[in-house]
Amino acid sequence: MQPLNPYLPDVATITEIIDETPAIKTFRVVLGEKRMKEFSFKPGQVGQLSVFGTGESTFVINSPPSRMDYLQFSVMRAGEVTSKLHSMSPGDQIGVRAPLGNWFPYEDLKGKNIVFVGGGIGMAPLRTLLLYMLDNRGDYGDISLLYGARTPQDMAFQYELPDWLGRDDLKTQLTVDVESEGWEHSVGLIPNVLLEMEPSPENTVAVTCGPPIMIKFTIQALHKLGFQDNQIITTLEKRMKCGVGICGRCNIGTKYVCKDGPVFTYEELKQLPNEL
Amino acid sequence: MSLLDEMKGRIKERLPELDVVIGWQRGFDPLHATPLFMRGEEDVDRLVLDPLCVHNLATYLTGLRDKKVGVVVKGCDSRSVIELLQEKLLDRENITVFGFPCEGVVSLKKIAREVDLDLVEDARVEGDTVKVTVDGGEKSFPLAEVAADKCGRCRYHNALLSDEFVGEPVTEPEADEYADVAEFESRPLEERAGHWREAMQRCIRCYACRNACPLCVCRDHCVAHCRDPHWITEQDTVDEKWFFQVIHAMHLAGRCTECGECERACPVGIPLLLLKRKLNKEVEELFDYRAGTKVEATPPLMAFQVEEENINERGW
Amino acid sequence: MEAKFIPGDKVPAWLAELAKERRTAVPRREGEAVVFRPFAPDQPVPLGRQATTPPKGSVFPQCEPLMVFRYEKDPASPDTSQVRVKETIDETPRLVVGGRPCDARGFATFDRVYDAEDVKDLNYLARREHTAFITMACPRPSSTCFCHWVGSGPADTECSDVLMTPVEGGYVLEPVTETGGELLGSGLLEDAGKRLDEAHVVHKRAAEGLGEAPDLSETPGKLLELFDDMGFWEEVSAKCISCGACTYLCPTCYCFNITDEACGAEGARLRTWDNCMSYQFTMEASGHNPRPTKAHRLKNRVGHKFSYYPTIHGGAIACCGCGRCIKHCPVSVDIREIVLKATAAEPAEQE
Repeated sequence: MQPLNPYLPDVATITEIIDETPAIKTFRVVLGEKRMKEFSFKPGQVGQLSVFGTGESTFVINSPPSRMDYLQFSVMRAGEVTSKLHSMSPGDQIGVRAPLGNWFPYEDLKGKNIVFVGGGIGMAPLRTLLLYMLDNRGDYGDISLLYGARTPQDMAFQYELPDWLGRDDLKTQLTVDVESEGWEHSVGLIPNVLLEMEPSPENTVAVTCGPPIMIKFTIQALHKLGFQDNQIITTLEKRMKCGVGICGRCNIGTKYVCKDGPVFTYEELKQLPNEL
Repeated sequence: MSLLDEMKGRIKERLPELDVVIGWQRGFDPLHATPLFMRGEEDVDRLVLDPLCVHNLATYLTGLRDKKVGVVVKGCDSRSVIELLQEKLLDRENITVFGFPCEGVVSLKKIAREVDLDLVEDARVEGDTVKVTVDGGEKSFPLAEVAADKCGRCRYHNALLSDEFVGEPVTEPEADEYADVAEFESRPLEERAGHWREAMQRCIRCYACRNACPLCVCRDHCVAHCRDPHWITEQDTVDEKWFFQVIHAMHLAGRCTECGECERACPVGIPLLLLKRKLNKEVEELFDYRAGTKVEATPPLMAFQVEEENINERGW
Repeated sequence: MEAKFIPGDKVPAWLAELAKERRTAVPRREGEAVVFRPFAPDQPVPLGRQATTPPKGSVFPQCEPLMVFRYEKDPASPDTSQVRVKETIDETPRLVVGGRPCDARGFATFDRVYDAEDVKDLNYLARREHTAFITMACPRPSSTCFCHWVGSGPADTECSDVLMTPVEGGYVLEPVTETGGELLGSGLLEDAGKRLDEAHVVHKRAAEGLGEAPDLSETPGKLLELFDDMGFWEEVSAKCISCGACTYLCPTCYCFNITDEACGAEGARLRTWDNCMSYQFTMEASGHNPRPTKAHRLKNRVGHKFSYYPTIHGGAIACCGCGRCIKHCPVSVDIREIVLKATAAEPAEQE
């Protein structure tokens, strides 16, 4: 069999764009009919989205593999490619190179209780695993979610929050950093709210993603609650170009975040040189 | 006492009050000096001071702005320190300048035309002579013949600014008339364009020219890497490379102290100093100004006057 | 396959023959530098010394399109446009004459990454498979040579197709691969005969000239131990000016950038050499930079070559010992010195 060209993207069509927050838009895209049918991925894997003529940028596929009508990516406007993506419309075509990287150990997590801790755009990678678990609800124990953002306006996936809050098989806690008018949920930084929630580490794995500073203090809080390093899973962000472990910029020592990651347990991260 | 010993003594005296003093030591072979960062007395013992000390150490100063730094300078290097002070990119109280009289530095490119630099066994400078041993045979070169071109026209052999000056000042020669620039300007346009096209063809875009320049102070935020606006592409075409060099030269107009580090650093030998000198020639004609000669002066392109004396704006 | 001999004065004619079959790059003097350029009959070919730049670009160009694309209007619905993407795989037969063993061997470092079990870089592989190397053995090591440190030597044939050795009156040509044998079919060549022994004496003398290599078996671990010792890295990088001369002149440095360039409705996705000494290399869109200073960046360069890469690739060091990074560094940073210092470093005291 002819090996695949790792740089050659699928041409995908944007079917829907959701304004999540002032800085974040979510893109739903479909590949060609045949490709879409054979396409498969695992929760936590990423893709390179490209605007032809502008360039590529890395995003997690945040729709779950159990829902394959489209692939969903949430894009925070930060640089050249993301700004260009934000100016696009349904019907426009972009490039998609996916799936890339490793995934959350969803098989190994069967039978365990799960605590999701997401901050800001860091909720995107958690969403894919959360929805996958909800779609396979019987395989997992108690699932709880702590999702925080700076303000209520910065909270993405608002269209799903009523469902998440209303389910009795999911314990959802929302928080914002500062008091806001009309906000009915917690106010406070994620690690502090997590300590109040006091999830038990017994047969439990915490999955967290967010800004580096939030992850740092969330891990401290989890340790305080009795979680061991191998009970904490996170997913990393790095500047990536090739996405297949060649181009050389996303390595931490011997590990390439694009290929060996982006998902690592805290135990694995501690083995790596300190270069986040 | 030799110049070197005297310099070592002065540095040792001042070192306790400084975080680091930058000088030179012997490099990987006897012909190559390399910058030396002295923090303790034992480091000072490795100092060398001779015409093989080619680097302009002022390049390191902006990166050490929050430190108390001493720097050993030749005349041309001292101009870079002055220019940086003029532009308020350094704090005078944090800088201790160790000056000495310089009678020219060796151009290794010129030596390389005569001997195989890969096989150098020994090299030393005795008075006005550079002696290089290759393959068991010694060759002597009069310093004047193998000195960098910049040294032949240098007007500032003695450091123009120093807190410690070691040695006797040497007499400074006549004015630089920019004869090299005038000669190049006299050639037909096609020839000049061809000269740069050929040279830029072999540019590898390593930006050693930029990073060796003491006055290229944008450092990590250079126009060459800016994608928004997208000034320069990643393509390795002559156009892109030339475009960068022109921007580089324009940014240095009236700021470049002609230390020649851009040209010396270039691994593929592109004669970049000529471009900078062309612009400095214009600045000298228009503003009667030479970069880095007076701490209290304001560089002309950092000032504005409604009526410029030498620019006839309304009489065209 | 028999070894051949070519008299020095027949080399240009031989190169002209070879250049008819393959796009042939040879050393050429340009200004103060020697660079690889397409063979031209009227230009001298300086074979006597290591070229300033390695022939890396023949297989891994400084800039190449990975693909081209074009927006096309859909006649059925003129408001929308479709993107057509086309691969750009270059299978032109090429030949590089006059690189050194280190220059050719640099591609062994590439191959382990670009031709890995799980990922095949097709753009690279096409050029690699279609490029042959006639390599010049080094008669004498330079002061900056250290190929013997990294498991190589002045007559190493790895990644070469023909080994060319200067002897009295000309060059001995030893075929290394089948392609190499095919390259030696010219009527201008004579049988090497006894000159082959002469060539082997040259190889032996050059190897002896390099002296003893240090033991680097502990180096990967030592470099990892030093990872958090920023004092060490600040000291060894103090004089580094953080330019890209070392990486762009390195036959083994393989990192790259991918950017798009478009003009109107069409454009290309380009692969360009990139440089881990650059601040932008790891700069994230958020503004966070995991390697913010030159000390962090030089640590990665040395660590990648002498620790991380050997750890992943069975001990192979990602350096060919050509010495260009030392010789052409504007401030003479010497990677040998850093590696030795790290290897000899006492472990930092545990807190």
